[in-house]
Amino acid sequence: MMEYTQRESDIIVADSLEGLTYKHKRAFLCALDEKQSEHIKCEQILIKSLGGGVYNKLRTLFRDGDYRRGVLGALEERGIVCVTLKSTLYPERLAQIPAPPLVLYCNGNARLLSGDCFAVVGSRRTSAATLAACKKISGELATKLTVVTGIADGADSAAIRGALDSGNIICVLPGGIDHIYPSSNSQLLKEVEKRGLIISEWPPHTPVARYMFTVRNRIIAGLSRGVLVVSAPKKSGALITAGYAADYGREVFAFPHSLGVASGEGSNELIKNGAALCQNVLDILGSFGLEYKTEVQKFTPQEEAVLSFLRANGKSHIQAIAAAAGIKSFQAVTVLSSLEIKGLVVRCGGNLYEPL
Amino acid sequence: MLAKVTSFALIGLDGVPVEVEADINRGMTAYELVGLPDAAVKESRERINSAIRNSRLHFPVNRVTVNLAPADIKKEGSHYDLPIAMAILKASEQLGDASTDGYVMLGEMALDGLIRPVSGVLPVLISAKKRGFTRFIIPFANANEAAYIEGIEAYALKSLTEAVSLVTGAAQFSPVQSRSFASALKSASYGTDLSLVKGQAVAKRALEIAVAGGHNLLLSGPPGAGKTMLARCIPTIMPDLTFEEALEITQILSVAGELSEEGIVSLRPFRTPHHTATTASLCGGNVRIRPGEISKAHKGVLFLDELPEYTRSALESLRQPLEDKVITVTRAGGAVTFPADFMMCASMNPCPCGNYGSAYRECTCTPAQIRRYRAKISGPLLDRIDLQVEVDSVKYDELAADEGGETSAEVKKRVERARAIQRERFGGPYTNANMGEKQIKKYCRLSAECEDILRGAFERLSLSARARSRIIKVARTIADLDFSAEIRPEHILEATSYRNFDIKQ
Repeated sequence: MMEYTQRESDIIVADSLEGLTYKHKRAFLCALDEKQSEHIKCEQILIKSLGGGVYNKLRTLFRDGDYRRGVLGALEERGIVCVTLKSTLYPERLAQIPAPPLVLYCNGNARLLSGDCFAVVGSRRTSAATLAACKKISGELATKLTVVTGIADGADSAAIRGALDSGNIICVLPGGIDHIYPSSNSQLLKEVEKRGLIISEWPPHTPVARYMFTVRNRIIAGLSRGVLVVSAPKKSGALITAGYAADYGREVFAFPHSLGVASGEGSNELIKNGAALCQNVLDILGSFGLEYKTEVQKFTPQEEAVLSFLRANGKSHIQAIAAAAGIKSFQAVTVLSSLEIKGLVVRCGGNLYEPL
Repeated sequence: MLAKVTSFALIGLDGVPVEVEADINRGMTAYELVGLPDAAVKESRERINSAIRNSRLHFPVNRVTVNLAPADIKKEGSHYDLPIAMAILKASEQLGDASTDGYVMLGEMALDGLIRPVSGVLPVLISAKKRGFTRFIIPFANANEAAYIEGIEAYALKSLTEAVSLVTGAAQFSPVQSRSFASALKSASYGTDLSLVKGQAVAKRALEIAVAGGHNLLLSGPPGAGKTMLARCIPTIMPDLTFEEALEITQILSVAGELSEEGIVSLRPFRTPHHTATTASLCGGNVRIRPGEISKAHKGVLFLDELPEYTRSALESLRQPLEDKVITVTRAGGAVTFPADFMMCASMNPCPCGNYGSAYRECTCTPAQIRRYRAKISGPLLDRIDLQVEVDSVKYDELAADEGGETSAEVKKRVERARAIQRERFGGPYTNANMGEKQIKKYCRLSAECEDILRGAFERLSLSARARSRIIKVARTIADLDFSAEIRPEHILEATSYRNFDIKQ
């Protein structure tokens, strides 16, 4: 049985009460703690907004031993560890933000919470090349930091896939742990559960609602020492996360994008407004005083020729690449395939390739 | 008096002899037709009546009974007109003492006494020859179907009068001259050529590999990229038809009534069923069991344009014939097996808006939309498509240089060489695509270096596990095209690039 202190279990039980907002829950905890000087004031506020009957009912429920055992037992059975605002594991950075979550419901390796975290966020609609870059940088970041992200398609998934092998990955869910959205990512999330950590500020059975995404983003920003925006159109959740990060005084990084790419307008805007431009992992780790050694890779002369052409010209068609390297197209397929496996080029559909 | 004439019924592609018996008795004028005839056979009475009269012969004004034996097989089609007419003439003693024995007769009657063409002549000739029949009377318009079968004496006649003259010996007719298949092959042309397709080097290479190893192929690309044009070139690089293959295809088309005037098929079929096609039209069926599109594509190409638009059930019905190379259609009338050894080539847009991977337009689809679109094609079906290739969306003029458009004939030579290697390997007309796990282990040993590359590819590109054997099979074919006994790293690398759809999004 997971051991919680009296104070911790109070918070967990208060969080499980239905019909209470975040503010109510804080007031409720204050009202029931007679050691606190404002407990009478809190009580009055609650009675005023909920009505005396409801308040009394909730108070009785809160003090009911059976209810308490039921709540804690259900979480225990589900294998969920609760890290409350008063727990030693509760991340220091997160505690500093306005309105920190009362409870983090954790599934996986909860010790990751005490590590140095860094958020990688982006849009669902992101080009293949940016996704590959996101996956790559996420893997590199995970060697030094714990990567924090959401669970959406696109950039979030790419960040998860990059960091998964190292296990240094935290996914923050918008709703309760039992409600995976989008459900197509549930397989990926199972992997995260095994090797990394999934957290949510909502009791497990809470279904996802629209507003929860924005609220969730404050946790992603709050946990992290900095945020990398991989891609973001003009209106984007990633921009909201970056906004929170800026409010909390965390560093904001962004990938630059070409002109006219809709999924990059927001991140370019961020850079214009003072976010740090990020081209590779050194830009991020360097600013935190961390080192990163890149491996020196060996290339065949053909690979060399193809790479230098791609780096000079950007996204190119395979036939143009073959002509530049002086080889046949099907030989270029082989060379590009090898470079793709080495993680240096990305295919973008339509036989177009882009360097990383 | 009683008279007997032999004709044939077709069950699938198999012919079964049918005895047409006519008996004329004294009594009220009547015409009874028994022996499980269908509507077309029943209506023969009116046609025969007029045809006989208009041939200046007499339709007996007595009680006429016609029996089609054996009585338990359903008699379908209009080709019983001629044998029934001849049996009636014989029974009414208008043929003198001439014998109709030894002739197999097929033909539909026109009211003026002419013989109209019928479907299914070739399969009847082949089955009848196997059963020892050698003399045939067939419609003149079907003469070409008899021209390629040796050892038979087929008379292609224009009218009932001619048939009577032949049987009675009143006039001499020469049987259909036999022709060589080689001459038919020489004059045949697909009307398209690989050299006419500009650019598309990657897709052309994929076509070559697919045909060389008998792999199925999926072309994905934006609308107007030239997927159909490429697919139409597939038959042009396939090895020439052998006579046996040509006969098989011709029989199927003959039964379906789609045979052209040449009488034998000398080009590999290219079938393009529309995506509204039903399971029955693809696999065969209907009340009369007819071959479906997949059988009509036997030894050729079945091209499914806009693959995700086909109904799920229609697509799933292709899975079993893709494995077994035959299709057994079961209906109330019985079960019939048709050959269905075809190469499947499918095409689709890369995403719902069609612009994914386009050089000019940005794709507006969400990953979930693209996933849903691609999920319309089930995993098991995708498992049977070894090569998944993207077609260029770039305009040809914008590409730096072209590698000189090769003609289909040049590519065909390489394909034939690779096929020869496979024939030797498997000791029969099998291709790399047919390899099972056991054969993959036996014929596709990978060096440590190749294993490393494959492992790297799986990790880096997040390939799904089912892609593995597919990649190895394709690598085997690439090695065969390269005259390499073992699979080398470059073969594996190239094979990994033809697997767009296995990448997890």
